[in-house]
Amino acid sequence: MHSMPFNTLPNSDYIGRHNELTNRYEKICQAGIGMTRSIMLAGMRGIGKTEFLKQLFGLLFWKQDRVAPFYYSVHDALLSVEAFSRTYLVQFLCQRLAFEKKEQALFSYEGMSLRDVSLLAEDRGASWVKTIIREYERAADPISALRVALEAPHQSILKTGIPVAILLDEFHRLKELSLGAAPDHRLVSLFDDPITRNKAPYIITGNTNEILEMPVAGLLEHVALKPLEYADALSLAQSLLERQQSKGAIPPLLVRRLGGNPLYLTCLCTKAGVTAQNTDRDFWNAYCEELIEGRLSGFWTSVFKNSFSNFSSRKIALSLCYKTYHSREPLSLEQIAESFEGTTAELETIVHGLYGAGFIEGAFGVMRPVEDLVLRDVIEALFQKEILAQPAHDLQQEFLDRLLPQKSDMTRFDLVLPMAKEAELVAAQCLDQIGKNLGFDQDTIGQLQIAVIESCINAIEHSGGAERKIYLSVIVEENRMEIGIESSGREFVVQQTGEPFGDREGMKTPGRGWGIKLMKRVADEVRFEKTARGMKTVLIKTFNKAMSGKKEEFKNRE
Amino acid sequence: MNNFSISSRSAQDVAVITPRGYINDMGAIRLEKTSEQFLGRGIRKLVVNFADVQFINTIGISIFTGIVQKTREYDSLLCFTNLKKIHCDIFDMVGLIKHVKVFSNEEEAITFLNGRG
Repeated sequence: MHSMPFNTLPNSDYIGRHNELTNRYEKICQAGIGMTRSIMLAGMRGIGKTEFLKQLFGLLFWKQDRVAPFYYSVHDALLSVEAFSRTYLVQFLCQRLAFEKKEQALFSYEGMSLRDVSLLAEDRGASWVKTIIREYERAADPISALRVALEAPHQSILKTGIPVAILLDEFHRLKELSLGAAPDHRLVSLFDDPITRNKAPYIITGNTNEILEMPVAGLLEHVALKPLEYADALSLAQSLLERQQSKGAIPPLLVRRLGGNPLYLTCLCTKAGVTAQNTDRDFWNAYCEELIEGRLSGFWTSVFKNSFSNFSSRKIALSLCYKTYHSREPLSLEQIAESFEGTTAELETIVHGLYGAGFIEGAFGVMRPVEDLVLRDVIEALFQKEILAQPAHDLQQEFLDRLLPQKSDMTRFDLVLPMAKEAELVAAQCLDQIGKNLGFDQDTIGQLQIAVIESCINAIEHSGGAERKIYLSVIVEENRMEIGIESSGREFVVQQTGEPFGDREGMKTPGRGWGIKLMKRVADEVRFEKTARGMKTVLIKTFNKAMSGKKEEFKNRE
Repeated sequence: MNNFSISSRSAQDVAVITPRGYINDMGAIRLEKTSEQFLGRGIRKLVVNFADVQFINTIGISIFTGIVQKTREYDSLLCFTNLKKIHCDIFDMVGLIKHVKVFSNEEEAITFLNGRG
């Protein structure tokens, strides 16, 4: 088995794209006939366009000899015409030479100069490479040199007879290509000719909305990389969780909410995978955490910040985006302008920025929300957190209450306790009453009361935050009771072992660590979670089935 | 808040201590002082009746270990009575139960102690 020349997923972990990949591979393999059209690979962020290009490159590089693949990802730091044309040419020539004898070592072209490539070509008897380099070096100006670089694949076809498939990632960045200080978006039109050449099909991808705004989009066939099918999304999630040795299956409603987006699935599974066994509620919890402070939130927040670099436009953009998401109808620029204090030009810039970054749809000035539910959740969370200054922990609970499917037989109690003297007794007494109300076995409730007392004492003892409160939640579903004791305290257990922190001498003091030991003895499962608020101890107990009769009796009385 | 109280009585060489409510660190210290007072007066047979104890926390239990040690130093006998199952489990978990005699009620404990010289 060959490894991929670029950092890609192992083929076995590349789930749900087999048909699209094979189809595209077969089309490219026919490039020699000259009928393969250049395409733009479209799709939302995180859908896997980059991975698709890399997988395709791997197939083309290792599995056949008829079409030479060339992969190039446009880098933000290399957008001067000189830097771009040089790296583009060096990487093309290296990859093209590597293809001859499948030499993966030639992909280490960091720091390689054109002279190095020329020597390499001489060593391999590839005189055509030297001809291109000579032509590049003799170019009268940077634009002419760029033309040589862009034409290099075509020249190689003329000299060797082997077609080239050009896989260009992050293509939208080329609108920032510059000759001097300021970007000149016209420079990208130099791609117009190479893109339409026979036997050199391009696959261009990057930010779909931005590429669609570039004239080159009109020369390309648009092919959408679709979200993963439900079954494939499930398989990918399962594979990601298994890799972390985590058990449990993502609830179907949540899988659907993630919309078959591999990035979203990966973020969620990485978060949930930290826990060995996940219930439905745990997965929803992990999702809410991701929305508010996780990698998923970080990803979209970073896109937002990059699109709106100054604070005032960022705030306006977020508010506009929020407004669009909450509007029942699409909003025209005129409607948006009614509640906007700036100039029309400023508004246009912000709306264009939102559209370009993929936050809203509406290429013709009538704005509507994207269909991506996760992005809508992220924007909701960002707005609540940053504009309305809602605390992260309140937001987490609010999202959970809204998103978590409420089972008809689920009962939930929430109680906020001050960290006052013997407040733990209030928690214990409440639990007693909840047990009585729901008809649970009093001996078991008695045990849980002791465990809750210990947990509250831990919360008080380790409270490091300014908020001197304990948040107690009791969730009862059928015969299962889940008690959460949360506070702003610091961690007091080692996550991997569930054992309390402490030096060895300290642990010899009578009573140290007994509380956690007691909780584990009493409850079926004890978990210690880091939350937005601080630390949460979760005690789970399943009651004897025989008690459910009493419960029903109580429910019927309600 | 006053969630703990304690009462005690003694007859001949047996003292009966009855804590009530929630035994936390403060409750256990009061219990320790009461038992020390009896031991200091030469009473070598102690009974702690848990019938009215609602909750015991582990900090309270850690202080109990001191009471047990003290009675052993005085070569005394310590009996627990009317223990709820959960309290019995906790004492067992921390290894305290093997150092005391457990009876279902006060009368049984006193009968046992009166039979000892």
